Amino acid sequence: MRWKYVLHIIGALIACVGMTMIFPFAWGVYYSDGTATPMAISMAITIFAGGAMFGLFRDPAASKSAMTHREGMAIVALGWFAVGIFGGLPFYLGGTFETIVDCVFESLSGFSTTGSSVLTNIEAVPRGILFWRSLTHWLGGMGIIVLSLAILPFLGVGGMQLYRAEVPGPAPDKLKPRIKDTAVTLWKVYLLFSAIETVLLMFGGMDFFDALCHTFGTMATGGFSTKNTSVAAFNSSYIDYVITIFMLIAGINFSLHYLMLKWRPSVMFKDPEFRVFAGMVAAFTLVITIAVYVGGNYDSVADSVRYTSFQVAAILTTTGFATADYELWPGITQAILLFCMFVGGCAGSTGGGMKVMRIMVLLKQSYQELFRLIHPRSVTHVKMGKTVVPEDVISGVWGFFILWIGLFVLAAFIVAGTGVDVVTSFAASLACIGNIGPGIGGVGPTDNFAWLPDTAKWVLTFCMVLGRLEIYTVIILFVPEFWRK
Amino acid sequence: MRVIIIGAGEVGFHIAQRLAVENKEVVVIDKSAEALRKVAETSDVQTIQGSGSSPEVLNDAGIENADIFLAVTDSDEINLIACFFANMLNEKVTKLARIRSGMYTNYQHLLTGEGAGITKIINPDEEVVNSVLRLMSVPGAVEINEFANGKIRLIGINLPEDSPVVGTQLIHLRDKIGEELGIVIAALVRDDELIIPSGLDVIKKDDVVYFVCDIRDQDEILKRLAISAEPVREVLIIGGGNIGFKLAKALDNKFYHTRLLENRQKRCEFLSERLDRPIVLMGDSTDQEILREENIQGMDMVIAVTGDEETNILSCLLAKSLGAKSTVTRVNNFGYMPLIKPIGIDYVVCPRQSAINSLLHFIRRGKIISSVSIKGEEAEALEAVAHEDSPIVGKAIKDLGFPRGCLVLCFQRGDEVIIPRGDTVVEPNDQLIIISTRHNIPKVEKVLTTKVEFF
Repeated sequence: MRWKYVLHIIGALIACVGMTMIFPFAWGVYYSDGTATPMAISMAITIFAGGAMFGLFRDPAASKSAMTHREGMAIVALGWFAVGIFGGLPFYLGGTFETIVDCVFESLSGFSTTGSSVLTNIEAVPRGILFWRSLTHWLGGMGIIVLSLAILPFLGVGGMQLYRAEVPGPAPDKLKPRIKDTAVTLWKVYLLFSAIETVLLMFGGMDFFDALCHTFGTMATGGFSTKNTSVAAFNSSYIDYVITIFMLIAGINFSLHYLMLKWRPSVMFKDPEFRVFAGMVAAFTLVITIAVYVGGNYDSVADSVRYTSFQVAAILTTTGFATADYELWPGITQAILLFCMFVGGCAGSTGGGMKVMRIMVLLKQSYQELFRLIHPRSVTHVKMGKTVVPEDVISGVWGFFILWIGLFVLAAFIVAGTGVDVVTSFAASLACIGNIGPGIGGVGPTDNFAWLPDTAKWVLTFCMVLGRLEIYTVIILFVPEFWRK
Repeated sequence: MRVIIIGAGEVGFHIAQRLAVENKEVVVIDKSAEALRKVAETSDVQTIQGSGSSPEVLNDAGIENADIFLAVTDSDEINLIACFFANMLNEKVTKLARIRSGMYTNYQHLLTGEGAGITKIINPDEEVVNSVLRLMSVPGAVEINEFANGKIRLIGINLPEDSPVVGTQLIHLRDKIGEELGIVIAALVRDDELIIPSGLDVIKKDDVVYFVCDIRDQDEILKRLAISAEPVREVLIIGGGNIGFKLAKALDNKFYHTRLLENRQKRCEFLSERLDRPIVLMGDSTDQEILREENIQGMDMVIAVTGDEETNILSCLLAKSLGAKSTVTRVNNFGYMPLIKPIGIDYVVCPRQSAINSLLHFIRRGKIISSVSIKGEEAEALEAVAHEDSPIVGKAIKDLGFPRGCLVLCFQRGDEVIIPRGDTVVEPNDQLIIISTRHNIPKVEKVLTTKVEFF
C-alpha cells in the first residue's frame, strides 16, 4: 500500500467535490440569503485542503506502476468519508447545525443518497444550504468516483480498480472500452434524465429551485426535500406521478437505460432483473392499493393508487420521499414496505438496499438446494435469464448477504444501547444501511433523526457509507489482513 | 480508434496493454473468463466473454465501428473464421490474423484475396525464422531490424572494449569511423536502461549500441567499429518442429554445415526426406554423448527451437558449457525473458514477441508504414513517408515539433540514405525513420497525422 499515492488521489477527489460548491454559492448570491459567504469559505477550505493533499503527496514514482486492488478500495472508502466531512462544512459554517456529528450525518446522508435528515425545520434553512444538501444527493447518486473518472484524466490507468470499488454490484459492466468513456456515458444518461425530470416538474407548477432539488433527490434515489412535509407539500397528483416514474427509472440499471437510448429496448425487457423489479412494483402496488382502499384510508381508488404507487416506488428504490404516512396504513402494507427496504433497486442503479439481483441469486440458489434434494444426481446451474451465474459470484453474494444482515443487526444493537426503543433502533439502522431515509417507529416518514443520541448518529452515518459502497469496500478497512504488508 | 482483439493469450494480452496505454479503445474477446480478468485488471480495456468466431459476439464488440481487428487466438481455424465474419460485418476494418499452419500459409493469396479479405497474415514461426537468419547475418548483434524493404538496418550490438569509438562523443563519431559512411546512433542501452542520445552523449564501455545504416555500408561499418565478423557456418538446430524445419530449409545450401537434432523417429524421417544438405540426427538434445560426437565445440551457433522452452534453455546451457560459440533459444513465456542473458544464453527468439512486432507494424499502418519494438518494449522505431502534398515537406527537421526522447534517424530519398542534420529539409516521398521511447509514441503519431498525409 502506497500511502502517499492513496492520499494524493483522495486529495484530488476532495478538490473535485469542493469545486461543485460553486453551484450552491451561485444560488446563495442569487437569493442573497446569507449563504454566499459560508459557501465561499467552505469551498475555499475544501479546494485548498484537497489541492494541498494532491500537491504534497505527489509521488512521480508511484504513478508509473498500476493501482492495486487494495489501494483502489482504500482510496474509495477513505475518500467517501473525507468527502462527507468536507461536505458538512457548509452546514457548520452556515449555522444550520451546532454539532459536528449533525453536519457529517446530514452531509453523508446526502452523498450516500440515504435522505435521513437531522433537520427539524427544513423550510427555515436558507436556500443556498438546501441546494447544497440536494446537490450532495445528485453527486453521490451516480458516484463521486464515477464523476472523478469522467473529469480527471490522470485516473485513467487505475480507474477500473476505483470503479469496481465504488460500483461493486455483482457484475459491473463496462459500457465502453475505456473507463473514462464509460463514466462519461453514465453521467450523460444521468444528466439527460435529470434535465427531463426538472422540466416536467416545472410544468407541474414547481419553481426552478424546487424542481431541481427534487430532481436531485429523485434521480439519486436520495429523498431530501425542500419542504417539511416532503413531496406531500405540493399536493399535486401530477407531481406525485412524475416523481414516481422517475424514482422507478432511477431504480433500474443505468446500463439498460443506455441501451434503451441507443434504440435497443428489447435488451431492457429481456433483462431478468428488470422483469422481477417491474413485477414487484406492480404486485406490491396492487396489493397495497387494495389493502388501503379496503382499510378505508382513502376514499377513492384514484387516491389509493396515487399514494400507494408513490410509496412503493419511494421505498423499493430507497428514495424515501413521502406523500403519505404509511404508519397509519394497515399492518400488511407496512410489512410489504419493510420487505422492500431490504430489497432495494436494481444492480447498477442509483438505488440502495441489497439489490434485486442479489435477492434473485439467493432465492434461485436456495431453490437449487431443494431441487438437489429431490434429484441428487442432477447437474444444475443458477441462471439469470440464459447466462449461468458463476460459483464465485454466488458465494460473493452469500458473503454480502450475511455481512449486510450482520452489520445491520450490530448497528441496531448499538443504537438500542444508547437508549433508543427497539423498533426505532432496527428501523433506523435498516433505513441507513439500505440508504432509504425514513423507517418506521420513531424515524417514520413524518419524523426525523434529530432526536437520536450522538453515538447513534455516528453509527448510522457509518452505516450509510457501508450501504452505499456495498459493504466490502468499507469493511475491508477493518480486516487486519488488509493492512499486512 | 477502436481495436478488437480476439484471444487474450500472451500475444493478445501484450498488444491490448500496449494499445490501452496509448489511449485507444480496446475490446478483448476470449472464451476464458480467467484470461479476461487478467487483462481487465492490468489495462483499461473492455472484455467480452465468448467465442471470437461468433458474429453475435463481434457485433457486441462493436465491429461496425472498429478500425483494426486482430485474431490472435492459438487456433488458426478460429482466427480465420473470426476474420471471415469480421469481413462480412465490416469490410473496411483492417484484419490481421495469426496463422501458423503451413496448410494455410502456403495459400496466403487465397486468404488475403476476396472472401476472408484478411489484410495480413502473421506467421510467428516465420518471423522467428527470419529473426534467427538476421542474427546469423551479423555476428555479435543483439537485435537487427530492417526498414525500407530491407535497405536500411537498425542494428543493436555489443561493442568490444577495443573498439575505436568507445569514449567518443556522438558528434565526433563520424570523424572516427570515416566521413563517407552513413551511420546514426539511435539508442544506447546502459545498465539495462535505454537512452535516446543527443550529440553530446559519450559511448562508454559495455554499452549496447543501436545504430542505423545503409545495408551496403553495414560490413564496412562493422569492421571500423572493430567488430570481428566471423561468419556463422557450423550450425546445430535442436528441435525439428515447424520452426526447426523451416530454419534448416533456409540453411539448406553450400555455405552452411547444418545439423538438425530431433528426438522422434517419424519426424526425423519426414525431415530427412525433405532436406537435402542438413544432417538429420535422432537423439536427445540433453545427451552429452551426441553433442560431443557431433563436435559441439566447433559449432558457431546452436539454435534450440523445440516446443518446450525448458528443454531449449537447458540444451543451450549444456551446449555452451561444452564449448559452442553462441546459442539462440526459443522462449515463449515472457516471464523467462529477463533470465536469459544472466544465465549465459546469447540470444532469445520469441514467436509471440515476433507476432507482436509484426502486428504493431500493421496497426501503425495508415500513418506510419512500419514500426518495431526495440529492447523488449521500451522504444519503437517507426517508418513514415512524406507525401508530396504533406505540410512537413519543405520544413527543416528541427521545426517539425517532435517531442524530446525521439529522434529522426535517417531519410531514404530515392536510392540514397541521408543522415539528417537539424536543418535538413524534408522533400517529397522521403521515408523517415524515427525512434521514440514508448510513452512518446502518441505524440509522434500526432505530429505525423496532423502534418503528414499517408495513403
